[in-house]
Amino acid sequence: MEHHQNSGNLLRQGVNVFIILAVLTALEFAVAVTSASMLLLVTMAIIKAGLVLWNYMHVSKLGGEDEGHEDDRESYAFKTETNRLGLWLFLLSDAFLFAGLLVTRFNLMGLTRLPLNQTLGLVVTSVLLISSFFMNRAEVQMSQGNKKGFTTNIVITIALGVVFLLGVLGVEWRLAAAEGVIASANAASAAFYMMTGMHAFHVLTGVIFLLIVLRNTGKGLYNEEKHWPVEAATVYWHFIDLVWIFFYPALYLIGRLM
Amino acid sequence: MNRLTQPGWVRGLLSLVFGLALGSQGLAFLQFLATKTYNPFDVGSWVLGSVVAALTFFAGAGGKKVFHLALMRGLGWQFLGTLAGGFLAEFLRALLPDMEPFGKFGFSEPAWVLGAIVGAVSFLAGAGVLTDWFKWAKGESTPEHHHDPDGWEKYFGVSLDHKVIGVQYTFTSLLLLSYGGLFALLFRTELAKSGMQFLDLNVYNTLMGLHGMVMIVSILLGIAGVMNYLVPLLLGAPDMAFPRINAFSFWIAVPAAVLLLSSMALGGFDTGWTGYPPLALRAPVGIQMFYVGVWVAGWSSILGALNLIVSVLRLRAKGMTAFKMPIFVWAAVATSIISLTATQMIGLAFQLVIFQRVVGMPFFDAAKGGNPILFQHLFWFYSHPVVYVFILPGLGIISELLPVFLRKPLFGYKWIAMSSLAIALVGFLVWAHHMFASGMNEYLRVPFMYSTLLVAVPTGVKFFSWVATIWQAKIPRDMPTPLLFVFAGIFVFLLGGLSGPPNATVSTDLHLTDTYFIVGHFHDTMFGGYVFPFFAALYYWFPKVFAKRLDEKLGKIHFWLMTPSFIFLTLGMMKIGLLGMRRRIADYDPALGFDIWHLLLTISAYLVAASVLIFFINVYKTLKNGEPVTGNVWNSRSPEWQVPSPMPAYNYDRPFEVVGEPYDYGVPGSTYVKM
Ligand code: HEM
Ligand SMILES: [Cu+2]
Repeated sequence: MEHHQNSGNLLRQGVNVFIILAVLTALEFAVAVTSASMLLLVTMAIIKAGLVLWNYMHVSKLGGEDEGHEDDRESYAFKTETNRLGLWLFLLSDAFLFAGLLVTRFNLMGLTRLPLNQTLGLVVTSVLLISSFFMNRAEVQMSQGNKKGFTTNIVITIALGVVFLLGVLGVEWRLAAAEGVIASANAASAAFYMMTGMHAFHVLTGVIFLLIVLRNTGKGLYNEEKHWPVEAATVYWHFIDLVWIFFYPALYLIGRLM
Repeated sequence: MNRLTQPGWVRGLLSLVFGLALGSQGLAFLQFLATKTYNPFDVGSWVLGSVVAALTFFAGAGGKKVFHLALMRGLGWQFLGTLAGGFLAEFLRALLPDMEPFGKFGFSEPAWVLGAIVGAVSFLAGAGVLTDWFKWAKGESTPEHHHDPDGWEKYFGVSLDHKVIGVQYTFTSLLLLSYGGLFALLFRTELAKSGMQFLDLNVYNTLMGLHGMVMIVSILLGIAGVMNYLVPLLLGAPDMAFPRINAFSFWIAVPAAVLLLSSMALGGFDTGWTGYPPLALRAPVGIQMFYVGVWVAGWSSILGALNLIVSVLRLRAKGMTAFKMPIFVWAAVATSIISLTATQMIGLAFQLVIFQRVVGMPFFDAAKGGNPILFQHLFWFYSHPVVYVFILPGLGIISELLPVFLRKPLFGYKWIAMSSLAIALVGFLVWAHHMFASGMNEYLRVPFMYSTLLVAVPTGVKFFSWVATIWQAKIPRDMPTPLLFVFAGIFVFLLGGLSGPPNATVSTDLHLTDTYFIVGHFHDTMFGGYVFPFFAALYYWFPKVFAKRLDEKLGKIHFWLMTPSFIFLTLGMMKIGLLGMRRRIADYDPALGFDIWHLLLTISAYLVAASVLIFFINVYKTLKNGEPVTGNVWNSRSPEWQVPSPMPAYNYDRPFEVVGEPYDYGVPGSTYVKM
């Protein structure tokens, strides 16, 4: 069947996408420290977002598969397609929240940026990006019925998610405060904490979601055909990454140092 | 007769009086603790006392079993949750250096905020709305089909049936409408004469701000009620796409409403419904309850909209292509697109103020690089589009009912369908017309002026279609009540539409802004676009829902009392606005010479309220003594009327198929659906 590519192909595709994302991220960093061209940075973020949307979140699945299942509305496939639509609409709504936060940031800071540690920003960004890579592998394994491979990959994803949380809340917030980025001191700093805080809140819910899915996989609730919760958790996880793809340049790279 | 076996209504009434006394005086006493003055007639205490009274009435009339209802369990849990969250916050504060736990209103402000959030979540857990999801997370499965108890109890329990949820929404909406109306009567009475009569400034401001937001939430719940009930029926679906999310969306609005009202007990707030900083930063704690309440209610809108869009995309009957959908479904989708997305912005705006007040993040403090105008942008990015959320379903109802009563095809179906979407989309681009006088960048004024005027085009399309549909139609001599409300809706919305462009034009708006002219304008739009069509819908679909028809005579009294009074009210508002009456103030200078107008406006406000009271009486009487009607009362072609009323659970026994155009009334041999 053309739908089901073999696992080697899918895994290779995941690797390729990851390499492009990594290169773009490195490039962003280089651009930021040399010319800080806003246009370039935004373009690269959009390309990265497109890659994640298309290859990791499989946005094309929306409305794609349902033709054959129209007649049987009680079928798993039909319901999954319905659920998928619901999830994407939820993400669309959530995206407006993050868009609002970006508006807040540019309204309050304009084209300047806070004295944050750019290298640290790159590190936490990489952690999240790598977690997306493993999340993708986990999903591929699940759709091949390889539960063991799934478990390994999802555990790595969760671990990286936790590392990201610790990195942002534990290390970054502390370092930033030491640099004078203090929430009550000025509006720009407040925006930084609000953005990273809301994002971290989503990472936290994502981790919880993944833990639930992991536990229920152990109980044998999913198989290669029926694993909507796994897909949902995956798409949600990549969405969190997608948000960060915009937050990272907005907070760390774009603009003159204040 | 033994005291305990007295009829339910006697016990209910006694408990009502008891609750009212207990609630009002209890709160007055709390206020006494806070302010050291005891005012037994404090308006806020009495309003909240009435909430307590409603509960005691209920408990008195229904007896012990009432406490097993999800509603009561939820409220109990909300109370406990609020206390738990509050004490938790106080405990944490006590651990921190230089923080004093507890404050003027019992808890300190951060504790009230945390308590409010924990309370709202506790409500949901206590009512049992989250149970199935907890089970799923634990890997347990839940039954596919649910059965509700018979009789009235199902309306107070967590039901997954969209029809029950629709009724729950509608009644909650009417309850809030009563509260909002009561607030309006109170401050309208104060305005009847210049000078301050019986409200103090803070109570006036609180009532006025709450009137606005309570009415908005009432409208949101009202359209959700009608959409919830109707859309699956129109689509031929057994239920909404996500019944549990549907129940969640309704139930979360209940603690939200409680939070909104409770702002009155915590000192109120003086910002009006818009909650602008920097004033909001200095308002009493009440404003936090207002913000959190709206924030929580926002989730009701967002998830309800999500559910609706998915239902329409996925659950249409066979043959129902996009341009065979009823107009109301188009309107519901357009509305939901706005609710789904823009609601996040008001949530964010309020969240930022909450954080500034609680943890001192200075988003809106200009001295620390903050920007109050940012709040206004975020706020209006939602609050302008939301006016289309209010009216699009109502305009859909108008388009839906006109052809039924006039027995003529709806003119320009496709244009009408697309105009809803166009209004919704253009509506996203106009928000800053509320900020012409705010001090925002001046170059923004002109583009926003033109984009605003552009909305008039798709709105004009709707008027054109209605007029063409009415043109040369045989209007029934003895117009049924729903049709009356439809006609009045069109007329009143026209008044609202005509008074809009002067506000959209910068040069005139600089004079009109913040005057009573604006108040007249938006009441016309909201009554024309929502209230009148909503009543039309209630009269029209009541026989479907309860298999009883509302009394026509009372319906006509309702209509003829409400319509002229209301039109007089808003035109009068516009007039004194032009003469210099400012909006949102408790008093005015008698030298301006419009005392008499204010008196007349207050009288007409009372008449409008009386007419709604007649409607309630009508509903009560009909439910109690109405003759059963099960057939196609209005001779409609729409699928829900082709089967006997009331609808059974899971709706149609067999799916129907769409074979024709929805509105070909009077076209021989045409049918819309094949059952
Ligand atoms: C032709 C269509 C319309 C135009 C051109 C228009 C224009 C405006 C403008 C420019 C304002 C701001 C005036 C000011 O504050 O100085 C305004 C206020 C308002 N309009 Fe409209 N409007 C239209 C239709 C509607 C509709 C359909 C609704 C609601 C269902 C609505 C509800 C409101 C509300 C609630 C306000 C007051 C908001 C506040 O400041 O509290 N308008 N309108
Ligand atoms: Cu507007």
